[in-house]
Amino acid sequence: MRLGVAALPRDRSFRCLPARDERWGAPPPRAGAMLGGGARAAKPSFVSYISPEEIHIKEPIEKEVNPHLLPGELLLCEASTVYKYVQEDGSNRGTYGKLVCTNFKISFLDDDSASDDNEPQFKNKIVGENDITLQCVDQIYGVYDEKKKLLTGQLRKYPEKLIIYCKDLRVFNFCLRYTKEEEVKRIVSGIVHHSQTPKLLKRLFLFSYASAAPNNTDGRNQTVMFETLEDWRDELERTKGNVKYKAVTTNEGYRVSEKLPLYFVVPICISEESILKYEGRGIPIWCWSCHNGAALLKMSAFPKEQDDSTSQMQKAFLDGIYKTISKPPYELLKMDDLSSSLPSLQDIQTAYTRFKQLFLIDNSTDFWATDVKWFSLLESTNWLEIIRRVLKKAIEVAECLEIQHTNVLLIEESATDLCCVISSLVQVMMDSYSRTKSGFQSLIQKEWVIGGHGFLDRCNHLHKSEKEEAPVFLLLLNCVWQLVQQYPPAFEFTETYLTVLSDSLYVPIFSTFFFNSQHQRDTNKSGECLKTQSGPFRFLTVWDWSVQFDPKALAFLNNPLYAEKPKPDRSQRKTARFKHQRQLSLPLTPAKPSTKRGFFREETDHLIKNILGKRIGKFINSSDEPPNSLREFYDSWHSKPVDYHGLLLPRIDGPEIKVWAQRYLRWIPEAQLHGGGTIATAAKILDLMEEVQSLQVKMDEEHSQSVSGDVHSAPMLRNSARLSSLFPFALLQRQSVKPALPTSTWKDLEDEDDLVKRDDEFVDLSGDML
Amino acid sequence: MSGAPGGRRPTFPGLPGERVLEEAAGARRRCGNGGGSVPGTLLCTNRRLAFLAGQAPGSRGLLRSEDEVALPCIHKLVAASSFSKPKVLTAASTLKFIPEELAVFCRDFRLLHFYFPESGRAPQAFRVANAIAQAREAAARLGDAAEAPDGETTPEEEEEEEEEEGSSTVLLFESLRDWEKELQRLGAAGWRVSAVNERFDMAPSLPQYLWVPSGLLDHDLKRTFGHFQERRVPRLCWHHPSGGDLLRAASFHPASEPGSEDVRCLEALLLGDRGPCVLADTAELPTLADIQLAHLRLRELCLPGAVAEEKWLSALEGTRWLDHVRSCLRKAAEVASLLAGKRCSVVLQEPSDRDLNCLVASLVQLLGDPHARSLPGFQSLVQREWVAAGHPFPRRLGLQCQDSPREEAPVFLLFLDCTWQLLWQFPADFGFTEAFLLALHDSSFSPYFSTFRFSCQRQRGHSGTPRLPSQIYRPMGGWQDAGGHRGGPQPCSFPPVWAWGRRYSRQQREQFRNPAGPPGPTESRTPGTPADPCPWRGASLVLTLAKGSLCAHPLPWWGRPPWRGSPSDSQGTPGGLLGTCQPTPGLLLPCTAGPCVRLWHRCYLRGLPQEQRGRLAPLLAGLAEELQLLQDHLHTWNLQRPH
Repeated sequence: MRLGVAALPRDRSFRCLPARDERWGAPPPRAGAMLGGGARAAKPSFVSYISPEEIHIKEPIEKEVNPHLLPGELLLCEASTVYKYVQEDGSNRGTYGKLVCTNFKISFLDDDSASDDNEPQFKNKIVGENDITLQCVDQIYGVYDEKKKLLTGQLRKYPEKLIIYCKDLRVFNFCLRYTKEEEVKRIVSGIVHHSQTPKLLKRLFLFSYASAAPNNTDGRNQTVMFETLEDWRDELERTKGNVKYKAVTTNEGYRVSEKLPLYFVVPICISEESILKYEGRGIPIWCWSCHNGAALLKMSAFPKEQDDSTSQMQKAFLDGIYKTISKPPYELLKMDDLSSSLPSLQDIQTAYTRFKQLFLIDNSTDFWATDVKWFSLLESTNWLEIIRRVLKKAIEVAECLEIQHTNVLLIEESATDLCCVISSLVQVMMDSYSRTKSGFQSLIQKEWVIGGHGFLDRCNHLHKSEKEEAPVFLLLLNCVWQLVQQYPPAFEFTETYLTVLSDSLYVPIFSTFFFNSQHQRDTNKSGECLKTQSGPFRFLTVWDWSVQFDPKALAFLNNPLYAEKPKPDRSQRKTARFKHQRQLSLPLTPAKPSTKRGFFREETDHLIKNILGKRIGKFINSSDEPPNSLREFYDSWHSKPVDYHGLLLPRIDGPEIKVWAQRYLRWIPEAQLHGGGTIATAAKILDLMEEVQSLQVKMDEEHSQSVSGDVHSAPMLRNSARLSSLFPFALLQRQSVKPALPTSTWKDLEDEDDLVKRDDEFVDLSGDML
Repeated sequence: MSGAPGGRRPTFPGLPGERVLEEAAGARRRCGNGGGSVPGTLLCTNRRLAFLAGQAPGSRGLLRSEDEVALPCIHKLVAASSFSKPKVLTAASTLKFIPEELAVFCRDFRLLHFYFPESGRAPQAFRVANAIAQAREAAARLGDAAEAPDGETTPEEEEEEEEEEGSSTVLLFESLRDWEKELQRLGAAGWRVSAVNERFDMAPSLPQYLWVPSGLLDHDLKRTFGHFQERRVPRLCWHHPSGGDLLRAASFHPASEPGSEDVRCLEALLLGDRGPCVLADTAELPTLADIQLAHLRLRELCLPGAVAEEKWLSALEGTRWLDHVRSCLRKAAEVASLLAGKRCSVVLQEPSDRDLNCLVASLVQLLGDPHARSLPGFQSLVQREWVAAGHPFPRRLGLQCQDSPREEAPVFLLFLDCTWQLLWQFPADFGFTEAFLLALHDSSFSPYFSTFRFSCQRQRGHSGTPRLPSQIYRPMGGWQDAGGHRGGPQPCSFPPVWAWGRRYSRQQREQFRNPAGPPGPTESRTPGTPADPCPWRGASLVLTLAKGSLCAHPLPWWGRPPWRGSPSDSQGTPGGLLGTCQPTPGLLLPCTAGPCVRLWHRCYLRGLPQEQRGRLAPLLAGLAEELQLLQDHLHTWNLQRPH
């Protein structure tokens, strides 16, 4: 195997020449030419004065840029003199460098990366800005004579340009025109092979990494992993569900099912035999208990049986189960078959595929072309509508638990997809513990990782089958983001946390998102790894954020404005909860009976059309529908002040569901605001918080002992440099502010001698302008 | 019922000359969707519709702004009862039945809903409903001719609260001093204040004082008026510290054929010695009709209930309102970056110079001038570019609905929306908040302020001069008769809208300030860096800005390529027109891409109860307060500590 670096002599000074020119924007071919259109023609012109042969003549190697390899990471192939466009905006700007492919990532190494001394404030230690993990590659296109072609599997011809679309929505454009042919072959087929073709589980980087760098952290994390019986018992106790529910050990050794976790919780009255009878199907599994005792349960349904007698038996079995858990002490039971009341996984996948296309921007011309119809395009993807339906379903469930005191049983084929979404959302909405960082992580651990969500299949990490792919977990994060965005003080974490969590789905050094079930993980952990002599693999968990981020960067994951819960002892908790729901300051009287209020509606139809069009009807209608407990619940909750530690209901009206701008727009320079965006105030808040904290510390010190020396040290303030709205994700150092009208135009005008004679000739200011 | 219908209600804090026409006790106002309601009295005066909540604290006689509607702000009045069809009330078609419910659709996106549960008071309800319909019509007919309330006078100087910062530092641009002060602040060397229009005889719709090039004598200036529509000549709006000038003007008069002497004056005014001149017209901006249509559609879309509709986003796109916001922002960003990039002058040209020019001129300054982003700075900006510049508020806001429905176009509201977009995109750069913009938005329909009542300074002058802030009406006990007139007759003396104390409590006003805003009141202006001398002295390069491109353009009187200075001497200078690549630090460049332009929820969707909440969220303010407190503590401790 050829791992060595291609013996291509390099001369920095020479190489800098074209690169420099390009980076600062090659001088426009001719004053006044349309930059947008002229770009292509201009592309090759800059190499014309250096023939390929010259490259070989140039001698000494000043500095070799080497990829930074993780333990267990192997360099598979590489190509040099690859030109990476900063952003395909027709301006040709970019840098030269080396493109490498390892068993972990595809990486572009430019000269800057070697001599980068200004560290960004927020940096991922594992995946750099020019790194793409193999699992993060979404699609690869090759450009042949200006035509784009999807690359999969075997290639007969090698493209001159490579476009890589990533699952975290980055787009990379590499030009291979100046690369040696054999290197092109090697790198293109290498990249396509390693990122796009089916893989064995054991070939995941996870395993090489774990054997090369065993996880030596003691794993003592605040996150509850739900791997032990104790974890489940503690959770039962925390939610006071232990009266009616029990944690069972029936599945030890995976006797019941490989899909179920080792330990799980069922109603006390369920016998071990019935659990074993159908491999756990038809058994209500406990997710969470509400403060009033009502519980959220999930169940995997029986597949549709052809055989009449089997289905009869199954029905009888189910009836028996329902009967047991419907009588006291259990609350009334409501069942919700999610496969019929929510969009199918297929719908979700289709919608997301369309949705993400809006953000995978090849060049800014495309961006502005779609921009005109932005809202209708957005709507036609249906993604926001799916988010809205999921949120609405979660509100329904919350209403049943909170108001009607009924148990809710979510039913789904395997109970590991939409069940996870709904049950997690309900807990985020109803249990303020789930809105803390460790609580949220425990929740993901409980419902998703241990709960048996098939991350491997749903993310299609192994490229086994596209049919199984569906962004279910992303759907959850999108829904949670809506809540975070609507009620920021209620969450201990920020949207940045959610964004980096979504990125971590594709970083295969953590075991968290790379198994389909606890069983799969356990068997692969201990399985055939004897030859490594290191005992069972010890995987890292994604919840150890320090693996990816420095403490400085970690600060951006925590919400400084989190309204921390006062910590009273348990007895006081209840009163504290009610205290928050103070009365409205106005004397309100209860609503009049609805019969009286109806009349306006019935007779107004005609009139309403006359006034302002038919929409008014809905307004008058909205409060007068036949008693709809859900609507009432929703409206009455929204008419009260929010208790950030109590129940939280998302707003789901049309205008309220928004695009998760941070995740989806972060790589699009056209959407960047220099010095703007939420980060502008967030940075100030962080400063303020730090100052408050440091003052508090000082006050404590003053209290405890008399401190000598001067107390007045100026508070450390974050540098007040103006950040971009895309911070912490934008590549700031590259994209300096681009004025709407580039000043270079003036130069053109200046050079123009007889400008006035060219009255009708337009001088285009920039190809990418508005 | 605690409403105590017949009993004591808080006294109605009337305005001068305000008469209560009709009142109905025992009315109830519905609150939001939640279903609650408040008992109280519904009043109709000759100026507004007001609801006095029965037990409202009323401590200071301050009428909660959500409980009243100015008559011109009422868009539709609908009455309904269980026995008859609901009916739209107008002065011409009065009510024939006893109303049980009244729905008031307001122009400012509110919807007030009253009902009269007590049957015994039916006649009152009937009378009040009809009175509103009549009064609304009457108020609309009055329009510009703001009737002067007689007998009202200056209120007593009350100890009350100390000077409101907001209004004290606002330049109203009604006196020479204000113009001079502002010109000085801009540091615009080469410009002077001209009083040529002091008697409004040069251009009736222009302000009394104009900023014109120092080199141009009034005598010469007078020659130029005739060549512009409505005689609105080019004049300075803003001077960029690095030398760029922003001017605004009406279109060239189509029929004018300036003689050579006039051409000299015109070119001295337009081109001067200030480098290339870029004409920016309004071709890419929405027309007045577009704005009005979009606003109507938007209003319809934002009614409570409509938001639950599916396909809401497509409907939003269909209103085109956000498109209009975007094109305005884009235009302003283009102009602002031109000015920041190079020393040149940009002349905004609109046929009438009274609508979109106001909008673009103010937006450019918001983008380029940190001072305009402070609270007093913004108020002065509106005062100069809109009020003094002669934006016909009454017609555009539809306060005169009867005469000229065609002329209605909420250009000013579009401007507020654009400003909100900037505020939202650059939260740390503004000294004021969304709450302030909302207050301004709502006040624009209010007839109690002089600011939005007149079409130009001349008209205002006819009605008298507004009081200084120290003389305004105080909400304490309403207007009081004290002493005689001060300094001659003051036919109309409504306060400017900037006297926020009238309608907003101190607490509310505190929310107008952005605690996360830029530090300090306004950073001291870097003394104009005239580092970029114009490369070609005497060159008269005229360009137009269209579709983001510059294109050479002759002035109308140039029959042939005009004399131009030779540009060749400039090629030696390496900087040339390129200048510094880095835009000045104070420049904001908004993003006008689809995902970055948003609907102003708290303004347009206020029908939704949840939108009301957090409107004046005190989070940041609270933090800043705690910080202050802690620092104080520490300070005292340090003092007490024995050494």
